[in-house]
Amino acid sequence: MAPDPDAALMLAFQRGDEASFRTLYERNARAMVAFCHHLVRDAARAEELAQDVFVKLHAARDRYQPTARFKTFLYRIASNHCLNELRRGEYAARARLAGEEPAEPDALASGAATPEEAARGAALERAVAGLLARLPEKQRAALVLCRFEGLSYEEIAAVLDTTVSAVKSLVHRATVAAADALRAFAPGSAEEVLP
Amino acid sequence: MTHPRDELTALLDGALAPGREEELRRHLTACAECRAEEARLRGALALLAALPPAPEPSPFFAARLEARLAARRERGLASWARLLAGRWRLAVPATALAAAALLSAVVVRHDRARERAVAEHLDLLLDYEAVASVDLVESPEDAQVVAHLGELEGRP
Repeated sequence: MAPDPDAALMLAFQRGDEASFRTLYERNARAMVAFCHHLVRDAARAEELAQDVFVKLHAARDRYQPTARFKTFLYRIASNHCLNELRRGEYAARARLAGEEPAEPDALASGAATPEEAARGAALERAVAGLLARLPEKQRAALVLCRFEGLSYEEIAAVLDTTVSAVKSLVHRATVAAADALRAFAPGSAEEVLP
Repeated sequence: MTHPRDELTALLDGALAPGREEELRRHLTACAECRAEEARLRGALALLAALPPAPEPSPFFAARLEARLAARRERGLASWARLLAGRWRLAVPATALAAAALLSAVVVRHDRARERAVAEHLDLLLDYEAVASVDLVESPEDAQVVAHLGELEGRP
């Protein structure tokens, strides 16, 4: 296994080096905010959840075993925490509306060359938010970890505490659901959303 | 013909064993239905990849996190202080209770020792002089009474 600099930092933190913890969150804050955002599709909530993840990581210092890759350990904390949040009634009610709410214009305009492209991007974002809100939680986590975080099936299995063949099935079902939900955006589709 | 549709996503992700991947690729060249499904899934993956990037952490992320960790550390210290204070509050009555328990144990033990001695020497109790001679009668007055019990009872 390749050397894992984050694991070394976590071990230093276990020995009481608080500066190592600071380096750890500086290195991983962006990934955690992105991961939480992919799961909850809400920028403010994602930042709050990412903070919770680091507070939990700080509290879990003694539980870390260097046998596990740090990335797996961190995503496991983050997945459990976000899925718990998604189960909470208050958040679930907001998530049901996600597909119907207009997305934030500033966030959607990024990278779009024309207003039409921005509009298409906004529609795509809404469609994906609606898809994620409808997916069963394990499929949603597997899809996000695979498609947005770039984790391998083996890493996802370790994060979700399941088998590689279960991950294969979760990712496939979620991808089929994505193909159904986004068919209007596919080139040549009769209902294609054009820029 | 069996259509390996459940494995098409793993094929796109390069997550199949080399032998199995080869089998699926051969199947795709022969099966238009599976080819269409593979193209549909490939299109969905391209759309997901085209989503705008997730937002960056805000400039206050580190400061807010440090503040939360500091608050947590303070709460932890306060809990310890409360726990220790609680222990001191409990210490005085607990010590008094322990002392009372110790005293009771000594008294009970002493009484038990006396009862055991009497039980062991029951046969001697009929001989008042012997009773007076063993260390079961504490005061000299009592010893005098016991020593003369025979006379008091009118025994020879």
